[in-house]
Amino acid sequence: MAESVKLTIPSDSKYLCLVRKVLHHLLLERQLSEEAAQRLILCVDEACSNIIKYSYAGCPDLPIEISFSLADDSFQAKIRDYGKQCDSRKIKPRPLDKIEPGGLGTYFMNEIMDEVSYCTDRETGTLLTMCKHLKNELTSS
Amino acid sequence: MSIEFQSNESGNGTATLVITGDIDMSTSTLVRTHLTDLFKKKQKAIVVDLAKVSYIDSSGIATLVEGLQWSHNNNTKFRLTNLTPMVKDVFEIARLLTVFEVYDSQEEALEGI
Repeated sequence: MAESVKLTIPSDSKYLCLVRKVLHHLLLERQLSEEAAQRLILCVDEACSNIIKYSYAGCPDLPIEISFSLADDSFQAKIRDYGKQCDSRKIKPRPLDKIEPGGLGTYFMNEIMDEVSYCTDRETGTLLTMCKHLKNELTSS
Repeated sequence: MSIEFQSNESGNGTATLVITGDIDMSTSTLVRTHLTDLFKKKQKAIVVDLAKVSYIDSSGIATLVEGLQWSHNNNTKFRLTNLTPMVKDVFEIARLLTVFEVYDSQEEALEGI
């Protein structure tokens, strides 16, 4: 049975560590390896950072709604904002052979997660959904 | 999330920056500030010790890439040491482990400078 946890944070980067702590606790409780847990945490953190930076343009008091869903062999994160909608066709990570600062957050999300989708079919903001199959990521309990 | 910095500058033109805490969107600007201060002092080499950094995101990586570019432009050595498993994994995913000079200890990083 899927277990779901929801939290809402203000769009201030000082709350990112809180999201990481909550997710870390949830993932380790589900016998996920530390490495796999850290990778999923990185993706959620990068998604929230992008919302703070781009959707809300640095405004620190707008809502970011996050829900984590953990089933036996899958993890799903849904992250909702009410800011500037993104054009998912324009979200492209930079080529890795170009060594320069920036552009890695989206790359991490696409590289680590099995599915990443952006839904802007709403009046404001974006719903980002990221899924990861965990069959090979669980430690022996 | 708090982050702490300890920098040690030796008489032979090398500086070591020990960072303690998570490097994320809220703290990477502080990392940049500390690195910029060291670069401005025109050190021969800067070693960044990441033994007490348990988390780094793309903004932290970007800051270290900036440091690397600065070092290339100013003929300074820029070395990383003591990467924790999480930090090393992020560098591996970004395929940056071979781009940076990475060492297992401060002593090794300071050798031959």
